[in-house]
Amino acid sequence: MPPKPPLLRVRGLRRRFGEVDVVKDLDFDVPAGKAVALTGRNGAGKSTVLRCVTGADRPTAGTVELDGVAVDERSPQIRRDLAVVMDDMDFFPDLSVVEHLDLFAQAHRVGDPEAVVDAVLAEVGLVPQSAQLPGTLSSGQRRRLALASAFVRPRRLLVLDEPEQRLDRAGLDWLADRLAAEKADGLGVLLASHDQTLVEAVVDNVVHLG
Amino acid sequence: MSRRTSAAAEVRALRGQVREWRRGRAELSVMEAVSEAYIAIFATVMLGSMAVSVILNLRSASGAACTSTTCTTARELMPWLIGGVEVALCLGVARLFGPMLVSPAVGTWLVSAPVDRRPLLLPRFLGTGSVAFLVGGVLAAVVGTLAGFPTATIAAFAVAVAAVCLCTVTLSTVVQARGGRAAQVATWLVAGVVWAAVVALVLQVLPAQRTPPSFSAVWVAALVVAGLVAAVSGWRAVADLPRIHRDQLALGGRLVPSLSGALATLDLALIYDILVSRRWLARSTVRSRRGGPSGPLALVWRDVIRLWRSPQTVVVPAAALVLPYLGATLGIGEGVLLLAGVTGFLSALGLCSALRVLSRTPGLVRCLPFEPWEARAATLTVPALVLVGWGLATAPAVHAAMPTTWGAALGLGAAVGVAGVVAAARWMTAKPPNYDRPLVSSPAGGVPPTLFVSLLRGFDVLVLLLAPMLLASPSNGVLISLVLAGIVAGVLLNRR
Repeated sequence: MPPKPPLLRVRGLRRRFGEVDVVKDLDFDVPAGKAVALTGRNGAGKSTVLRCVTGADRPTAGTVELDGVAVDERSPQIRRDLAVVMDDMDFFPDLSVVEHLDLFAQAHRVGDPEAVVDAVLAEVGLVPQSAQLPGTLSSGQRRRLALASAFVRPRRLLVLDEPEQRLDRAGLDWLADRLAAEKADGLGVLLASHDQTLVEAVVDNVVHLG
Repeated sequence: MSRRTSAAAEVRALRGQVREWRRGRAELSVMEAVSEAYIAIFATVMLGSMAVSVILNLRSASGAACTSTTCTTARELMPWLIGGVEVALCLGVARLFGPMLVSPAVGTWLVSAPVDRRPLLLPRFLGTGSVAFLVGGVLAAVVGTLAGFPTATIAAFAVAVAAVCLCTVTLSTVVQARGGRAAQVATWLVAGVVWAAVVALVLQVLPAQRTPPSFSAVWVAALVVAGLVAAVSGWRAVADLPRIHRDQLALGGRLVPSLSGALATLDLALIYDILVSRRWLARSTVRSRRGGPSGPLALVWRDVIRLWRSPQTVVVPAAALVLPYLGATLGIGEGVLLLAGVTGFLSALGLCSALRVLSRTPGLVRCLPFEPWEARAATLTVPALVLVGWGLATAPAVHAAMPTTWGAALGLGAAVGVAGVVAAARWMTAKPPNYDRPLVSSPAGGVPPTLFVSLLRGFDVLVLLLAPMLLASPSNGVLISLVLAGIVAGVLLNRR
């Protein structure tokens, strides 16, 4: 029986800004049920790789395939399969925390969205803030909301850019448990991180950049 | 030494320290400052005299051209209407900025110090009151001149409006210190009175005496009363200055640099974002509404919730509906289409906040399993329905102003509504000026080529979509305009 192809396959990825190659000839795979971490100093190109992987940026050269299909951000199927939390996440100023999560769940046609949203809200510890507008949340709470938005919807690959940012110790422990559960459910996880503890607790393969 | 004197001395000492700190960092010499002040005064006098000349010429021209009864009536009412708009605007701006505010630095270093805040805030209060008085008075004088009032009446009218503008600042300061909704209620009340006056003008239900009486004892009494009210409310406001919370002072202080930054780059959409964000920040929580349809309709449903949550986004277009009817009453003919288009476009901006957020936040779009155009179209659905309904409601005005059948008037109204919402979509989906690309040399330094075009954004689409209706026959014009609207909307929604 031939080996199962990886969920995400990145080959020869190169991203050039002007005369500078920020990322050059990068190859890695993210199999289903595994977590891969991108590590490296600031400016090493971790976020650039994630942007290319999610289709938010176009690589200068190389291919990014999800289940053998080239990643194109405009494809609704890719949007359904990829749950992405990056720094460019923002929220509607006039919808409450729970209304945001309801919106994401309903947009993805999740069955019994209210039950799913309530469970995730409790998990990320935002139940007391459910009626608050995003502008009034602390930076850590906003991070939790961004992460929650990825967990209320169906996904096959979770892409997180430094998810540990602004989370407290309890939040980091929860995140590690949650990512382990994602792997156990057969989902792929790709994250860029500076947190060695999180990487050691969750990750199966490390791609060091720079 | 009394406690008050001691506090004032402490503030003086703090100010002295700030002056001392600044002294070593001055960027201008005294002579350079005098030279710049001379240029500023010279320019002000020159531009001021040009403006006065233009106003006087306009007065003669409008007096000669405005001969019909309706036009004369509107001209007589104009100072009252503009005066009311001035007062409502003054209240709105005062509430937006505080009116009392301090810069973030002063908020951090001086307001937090254990000193009496009255001497610290008094110069700001006097400055704000003076600006409101002067701007209110000058604008009222200009409008009074254009309306053809006698000189003494213009002066009395200007002083009266200026005094009311000053009172709006004092009232807003007292509300800022003590809380409550008096300033908000006053704003809506004044705006409501102005709107009722426009409706009365449209319906031709007006009092016989519309022009202000010539300068007499009545004016003197009115001015004395206005002065007394301003003095008493000013005294109350000054007494309340120390009661204003630091957070409220800092809120306006943070808003000023944000808005100045956006204005410096002529990024009007950014100003919109800042104001919307601030409004919801002040509200802090809402009663969450759950459930609703799934798929793209989930986005549409959120817009319905928004209408419920911010009724003013519908109330404002509904109130603005009176303007096309005013145009028809004034007999501006096909100009009604232009007036309705501009009014619809500006009214639609408040309805398109979701489209704006999606256009500037790729991270949010990425969370939705739709093509970008699908998500944008979903957020444009409710504004489009409201605006088409709005456009249809202008049909009687179009019918009255232009020689058309009712069917054609309905078609023109609907097409005007579509033009308004597509123009709003153009405004909302526009990208900010890009300073990374090659800049164009200008007297103000290097600027992006798109900077000045950004002021025309939305209006360009509006002109494109209204032109066929103004130039071709109604049925052809509507058809061409709708086809063009479809093409423009397609381009805007598919933009990356």
